[in-house]
Amino acid sequence: MIARSQRERLLEAAVRVVAEQGYAATTVADLTREAGISRTTFYAMFEDKEACFLAAYDVVVDTLVRRIASAYEAEEGWPRRARAGLAALLDALAEEPELARLALVDVGAAGPAAQRRYRAALQRLTPFFDEGRDFAPGGRNLPANTSRMAIGAVAGLISDELAAGRAGQLPDLLSEVLFATLVPYIGPVAAAREAG
Amino acid sequence: MASQSRRELILAAMIRVVGSKGYKETSVADVIEEAGTSRTTFYKHFEDKHDCFLAAYDMLVEQVFAEVVANCDGEQSWLERVERGLATIVELFAVDPQLARTAVVEVAAAGADARQRHWNAVARFTAYLEDGRELANGRELPENISLMSAGAVSGLIFDELLAGRAAQLPALLPDLLFAMLVPYIGPRAAADEMRRVAAAG
Repeated sequence: MIARSQRERLLEAAVRVVAEQGYAATTVADLTREAGISRTTFYAMFEDKEACFLAAYDVVVDTLVRRIASAYEAEEGWPRRARAGLAALLDALAEEPELARLALVDVGAAGPAAQRRYRAALQRLTPFFDEGRDFAPGGRNLPANTSRMAIGAVAGLISDELAAGRAGQLPDLLSEVLFATLVPYIGPVAAAREAG
Repeated sequence: MASQSRRELILAAMIRVVGSKGYKETSVADVIEEAGTSRTTFYKHFEDKHDCFLAAYDMLVEQVFAEVVANCDGEQSWLERVERGLATIVELFAVDPQLARTAVVEVAAAGADARQRHWNAVARFTAYLEDGRELANGRELPENISLMSAGAVSGLIFDELLAGRAAQLPALLPDLLFAMLVPYIGPRAAADEMRRVAAAG
């Protein structure tokens, strides 16, 4: 029980520290100090800084996906569900800009394993997009990669805002990210109508 | 001239080494060994590894862009241009997986300024291919629609490269074409183009 809470404290500390000073500049000593644990305890739980960061990253992604899912599932009809899910994502990222940068931008600096985690995290959104296939007329004939494309488009729009330091304005991006989500399934005319 | 070409040798070596070892693991020693130059020469041209990488990245983008323009100019329609442009990029990446990895994957590990360069390059390619607005027949499209295409296309390419499947990129061309076109012309027309290219390929 105590071991579990130490782990949680450490993961929270890792998110804070890496978000604040960047992955490259973060040391294990920074993490243990921020979490108030010993070096021995750290190494009993994780092999190195990267392993700890990856575990912390998973927690961040879990939280985001849960928040998206509960907003999405509260609505009926795919375009409305997509709108609610995307709004929840943008709000969550806008509330915690450092976390947003960590989750979508700085993760690339933490090496190939972290990059794979990032791509895997994006793919966890696939079920929310795939419902567009059932909704769209002829949706079954769309390329197998359609949800990956839509996710890439959404991630591109969001990353561009984050890189420009506009995390706080992310909620204003809702109609664009909704358009990007809907358009491969229902086309630009219907997507613009839904997103407007 | 001699020093100019030595500089380019170093830049080309940087692209190859980063593409095979990864940015973090690459040292100045690796690069000068690959380039066959001295440390002194390296530091005459560049402040450090990062400085050299940024210059190498700029060179890489210019090379890829020049290839795309060379294959795209002329009397082509927008659709042909998008298709030729994407085909040029995936073929280039397929024959030179190290360049591809440096261009798309490793650049993310090289700091915020490098990532910005990558994104600027992607935006430049999509803007070049962007005349697609004409095809929307005066319909109102979102202002940043080319960013959507860019994100969709670069996400697919990123996943392939991260999985070490550079050689299989040309097989993805129909999907990439769909991703690029769909925000402009919708799924039915984009799927027609996709099938046409798949049948021709």
